[in-house]
Amino acid sequence: MSSMIRLIQNENMKIYRRVGTWVMLGLIVIGLLLATIFTNLAGDEGTTDWRSNTETAIQQSEESLQNSEGMPTAFKSELERSIAINEYRLANDIPPLESDSIWSLMDNSISLVSLISIFTIIIGAGIIASEYSWGTIKLLLIRPATRTKILASKFIATLLFAVLSLVILYISSFIIGGIGLGFGAVDQPYLTYKGGEVSEMSMAVHFIIEYALASVNLLMMVTFAFMLSSIFRSASLAIGLAIFLMFTGSQLTFFLSQYDWAKYLLFANTDLSVYFDGAPIIESMTLGFSVVTLLIYFIVFLLLSWLLFTKRDVAA
Amino acid sequence: MVEEEVSGGGVTMAGEPIVQIRDLTKVIGKKTIIDQLSFDVYPGEVFGFLGPNGAGKTTTIRMMVGLMNMTEGEILIDGSSIKTDYEDAIIKVGAIVENPEMYKFLTGYQNLVHYARMMKGISKERINEVVKLVGLEGRINEKVKGYSLGMRQRLGLAQALLHRPKLLILDEPTNGLDPAGIREIRQYLRTLAREENVAVVVSSHLLSEIELMCDRIGIIQAGKMVDVQRVNDFIQKDQTVMVSFEVDPVSHAVHAINATFPDIELEQSDRIVMVKTEHERIPDVTAALVEKGIRIYGIQSSVKTLEDVFLEVTGGEQVV
Repeated sequence: MSSMIRLIQNENMKIYRRVGTWVMLGLIVIGLLLATIFTNLAGDEGTTDWRSNTETAIQQSEESLQNSEGMPTAFKSELERSIAINEYRLANDIPPLESDSIWSLMDNSISLVSLISIFTIIIGAGIIASEYSWGTIKLLLIRPATRTKILASKFIATLLFAVLSLVILYISSFIIGGIGLGFGAVDQPYLTYKGGEVSEMSMAVHFIIEYALASVNLLMMVTFAFMLSSIFRSASLAIGLAIFLMFTGSQLTFFLSQYDWAKYLLFANTDLSVYFDGAPIIESMTLGFSVVTLLIYFIVFLLLSWLLFTKRDVAA
Repeated sequence: MVEEEVSGGGVTMAGEPIVQIRDLTKVIGKKTIIDQLSFDVYPGEVFGFLGPNGAGKTTTIRMMVGLMNMTEGEILIDGSSIKTDYEDAIIKVGAIVENPEMYKFLTGYQNLVHYARMMKGISKERINEVVKLVGLEGRINEKVKGYSLGMRQRLGLAQALLHRPKLLILDEPTNGLDPAGIREIRQYLRTLAREENVAVVVSSHLLSEIELMCDRIGIIQAGKMVDVQRVNDFIQKDQTVMVSFEVDPVSHAVHAINATFPDIELEQSDRIVMVKTEHERIPDVTAALVEKGIRIYGIQSSVKTLEDVFLEVTGGEQVV
């Protein structure tokens, strides 16, 4: 076990002693600062009465729902959800998040998780392939540590980078949001809709869940990039393919959602938030189904990485 | 450089070999890269691994350190199989495979810490000791990015020595070093072999290097071991030497030698007569020339070098 920790230390040293890593971590905070500035500017518009706004929103949703013949079910359930939550707001006097509150910044920060995905893909794609392109693989693998352990240490170090990035994002969103936009709305609850019922939840917990759900996609894409890195031994190919799929995968799945087999596609399952807030892309899918499918993909990715890393020759 | 010459009976082949290679075969696709290679290396000797490019030196070394799988055969290091007891076997080995590529964005010291973490029981003192040994004290806290090839070579040697291996495998160890550095490394390897009983396997395309550094050499060609010999035997197998006599007049000298020693082959050029003869007969030839009143300006015997022997053994194939 201690040998594993030392291998992870090695991988961490190779990640954090490079300038590029710190540039990426810095970009996360800079991205967040920009988001704060823009939300702050946008928030200067005069605030109208939220009740009348909500009422109009309900009306619009109901009209859309009536004219929704032939629309996908996902679209319809989204409308139903929005109506239910808005009605709950009016009934219990809970205003929606104002665009310049600390929580709306937190909400925006979730979109930065995909930035973290890209950065972690870059780390994960490079962590194996770079050793080959640097030529250091030859000195790395002629040690008593087995290739399996070295591979595991690399995967763990990649995930640790993702965790570090997420923690930085979460904490700095809270701090920057609080300082820039005020801590005023901190105790506002979050409303969830599940099976026709609306319930309240702490915002801080809600965002931890949001981060975790957003990280499912991150985890799958990073594992995918890690596998490509092991297969092709080329960082650029692994980064390119993984990021390309990350951006096109969900659209592709959306187009294919009319077929039932599309539910076995990776991207049909990566967004677990639909089971908590909304509806899955294909009706027959359940949370359990998605978790099992993701798990199978995850294991296959890691198994292929392992096979190709441990069994193949390191030739010139 | 006379003092560095390989001493004749310095190495005893007593004891168990540290490396045993038996019927090592590597097939890639349909091509047999290494074909039934077998040889032993003993503690305390410097073994030279010599062969034309593409002969399979690096492939053999890569199989010895487990970077490549063997198709058939067995490699034992200190009795442990690299195939089945990898961890036990590799812990005895320090190696540089091809160029010593290091993490350029780390300092030399951080590179050594990196490798030290991968093995048990390497203290900070040991790292510092090795740094001093390879003469990098002054620059060890600089990033490898700024190192010269020679410095990287030294750092490569340092990482290979960290865990006091019983077997040191070096691919082209003097590549990129200046003459002073080459001499230093050569002396160091010999000391390591003699005093710490380490077995050193060196591959090189520089025949003169191997000649000065090694006790035994194995010549590999087209994946097969053509010959394994002690360096001295290699060179002195054929006792005839070429002796050049700088004389005047050349024609008289040729006549004199032909008359006295009809069996001796010779060649003549402007002021030189090249005589192919046994070492023992050089004084006789000289005496015959003096007797005939021929003026002798110089006598030089050229010992057959490893290069000559190598070209003979490998059938004159290009080495470099």
